[in-house]
Amino acid sequence: MILEHAELKRILPHRHPILQIDRVVEFEPHRRIVATKAISGCEPCYADLADDADHRFPTSLLVESMGQAGGVLWLHSAALSGEPPAGTLILGSARDVTLTGAAYPGDVLRHVVELDSVKGENAFMTGETWVGERRIATVGSMLAVMRADDALTPAG
Amino acid sequence: MTTAIDQTKMDELAEIAVEVLEIEDDEITPTSMFVEDHDADSLRAIEILARIEKKYKVDIPQAELPNMVNLQAVYEVVARYAGWQA
Repeated sequence: MILEHAELKRILPHRHPILQIDRVVEFEPHRRIVATKAISGCEPCYADLADDADHRFPTSLLVESMGQAGGVLWLHSAALSGEPPAGTLILGSARDVTLTGAAYPGDVLRHVVELDSVKGENAFMTGETWVGERRIATVGSMLAVMRADDALTPAG
Repeated sequence: MTTAIDQTKMDELAEIAVEVLEIEDDEITPTSMFVEDHDADSLRAIEILARIEKKYKVDIPQAELPNMVNLQAVYEVVARYAGWQA
């Protein structure tokens, strides 16, 4: 199953410029997803960067992008099963993040995310990010949750 | 009701909690409170629960989360569902 960008907008609440995946190229419901994101020099994160600065794609956005791939895996699987969780999607945590490389404008990120377990409105996943034949990141444990709007109160 | 403590299992639970809460080993005690003393929130709590389920291959209902306020309480909940005998 391949999901194009427009279809991802029906699954995820994210929009430009924070929708950080472009296409799903492999999808095994409740198990595994492979999603891609093309990095361009047009990304907002490069807008104000000095010419001689390091142009590696920020780790925060890389993890966010992987998390969104995981979100699609969880939410689309649940929707296909007729049990879509309600609420606002939140990336709860990313643990054991290991960086073994970097990505730059012109690279295509390929996230491979596996669903470890789902507990109620909480999904636990693991993931890797590849650029070509290079694995540039692994996340040992990633938590995505859905929370009702009234449970999301500002920090006191 | 109190549960006789298997220290090895208590140490394992402490290890999970310390890792998820991102605190030092010596900061946690059986009765230190996850929320009040260690700044835990509902996301940390569900992480602790999930790790315990995976480690001990036990199913613990989310309804038990409000009871799991410190290590002692976690131990008693897990002991009940995992069938740990005193």
